[in-house]
Amino acid sequence: MHTYIFLLGILVMTYFMMMVKRLPALINGFRWQSLFLFLLTLLLAKREADGALYVVAGLIFLLKVVLVPYFLLRIVKRIKVNENLGFFMNPQLSLLSGLLLTYLSYLFTFKVMLLADRMQSVSFALSLCVTLMGLFIMIFRMKAVVQIVGLLVMENGLFLTAVTMCGGMPFIVELSTFLDIFISVIILGVFVYRINTLFTHIDVNKLDSLRG
Amino acid sequence: MRTVFSILQIIMLIVIAPLVSGLITKIKNNVRLRRGQSVFQPYYNLAKLFSKEEVISEHTSWIFSVTPYVVFASTVTALFLVPTFIAKNPQGCMGDLFLLVFILSLGRFFLALAGLDSGSAFGGMGSSREMFISSFAEPAAILVFFAVSLSAGSTNLGAVTTGGFRLSWLVAAVSLLLVVLAETSRIPVDNQETHLELTMVHEAMILEYSGRSLALIELASYVKQIVFFSLLGAIVWPCMAAASAGYAEIIAALAAYLLKIAGLVLVVALVEVSLAKMRLFRVVDFLYFSFVIALVAVIAAVFGV
Repeated sequence: MHTYIFLLGILVMTYFMMMVKRLPALINGFRWQSLFLFLLTLLLAKREADGALYVVAGLIFLLKVVLVPYFLLRIVKRIKVNENLGFFMNPQLSLLSGLLLTYLSYLFTFKVMLLADRMQSVSFALSLCVTLMGLFIMIFRMKAVVQIVGLLVMENGLFLTAVTMCGGMPFIVELSTFLDIFISVIILGVFVYRINTLFTHIDVNKLDSLRG
Repeated sequence: MRTVFSILQIIMLIVIAPLVSGLITKIKNNVRLRRGQSVFQPYYNLAKLFSKEEVISEHTSWIFSVTPYVVFASTVTALFLVPTFIAKNPQGCMGDLFLLVFILSLGRFFLALAGLDSGSAFGGMGSSREMFISSFAEPAAILVFFAVSLSAGSTNLGAVTTGGFRLSWLVAAVSLLLVVLAETSRIPVDNQETHLELTMVHEAMILEYSGRSLALIELASYVKQIVFFSLLGAIVWPCMAAASAGYAEIIAALAAYLLKIAGLVLVVALVEVSLAKMRLFRVVDFLYFSFVIALVAVIAAVFGV
């Protein structure tokens, strides 16, 4: 029952991020999603009495709930980006597409995968659709910061798949993934900052225009 | 016997409906460390309005004078449909979740027409805002009912309220709570305490009414509030007694029902105190979010959670 609550919380926050219109709200959406992921991991760690999973949960909290959103919010504040997310597709249509992605992952899980355990099928379908929606955010938003968040959402989805299907990846792999995420967010953040100072905007669609 | 019980139940609910509003105001004032008006103030207001003379503008048509009765009648009909504390006969129950939505929107339709009918600037503005808000609130409400009836296997209100607790219903209830705040003109969407012309929605529509008509419309909005609270309570925690059961069971169900309503009163009052009123165009985002939560409830119901 509790697992379902956290899974649905993650789904609500993912939809929220699909339809949100402002950058701080998007980043806070990511923070809430990660918080639900943290609670889910903690629950699974308690259920399986797995020490390594406790450490992973702690790392999720530290990195994805505290550090990364803080860092992203600071970038947003410093580059004074205007509120627009660079919509390639408006929020309403994005939400409908998110629904379509959910339906596709439902079809894939229940008609193709045919897992024996109902709980596992539901969590697989949801994590697949979170991953797909992260990809969607990366493709259909034109601002660089939003694309970083999309990447992080995809990573959350993949982590969710690993942790619900087979109790998490090996500890060392998990650790290196977290390090990768942290480093990549820092590098991308610096990169966004540089793009902004060079071009005075972070719209990736206009990066190919030459400046004299 | 069942019919008698049913009618007694409705009369009791109409009688306590203003008290719910009075309680919410009282709690809000106490949280703000004020003494506040008495919880019976809505009754005094209604009594005063019923005894006052009514003024009707000579430029209005029949719609203006018939609207209070339509609104009151449709809301009370809705009250007959919602599950409260005595279970209705499943065979004789023609109530359907979607019928409920349509009956409530009949009243709203007439109110909006009456707002336009008097020809005052505020009336038309209020009608347009009310329709604007309800066009976002209604899809969310209908999705909530979809989620509930999907897992109950029927849209009949009798069948809906006999099932046990489900997670998807809890998610649906969260969404419905946001819709209820909009429909009962509570704070993030509208403010009942003020008649400021820039912000009022519901109050602007009924600005031209006075005397008995105004009293009927106010009473109807109290009843509408209790309709939504009962619905929300039935989704969160379905517990009712059959009419043929003994008095002990009926009293237990009544106590549980009043407990649910009291809990909702507390939640709504605290929400109202802790939030500020939104700009009209941010209400769209607010209701859109409730639409999303309702969508997740439908997905959870499809997954069989």
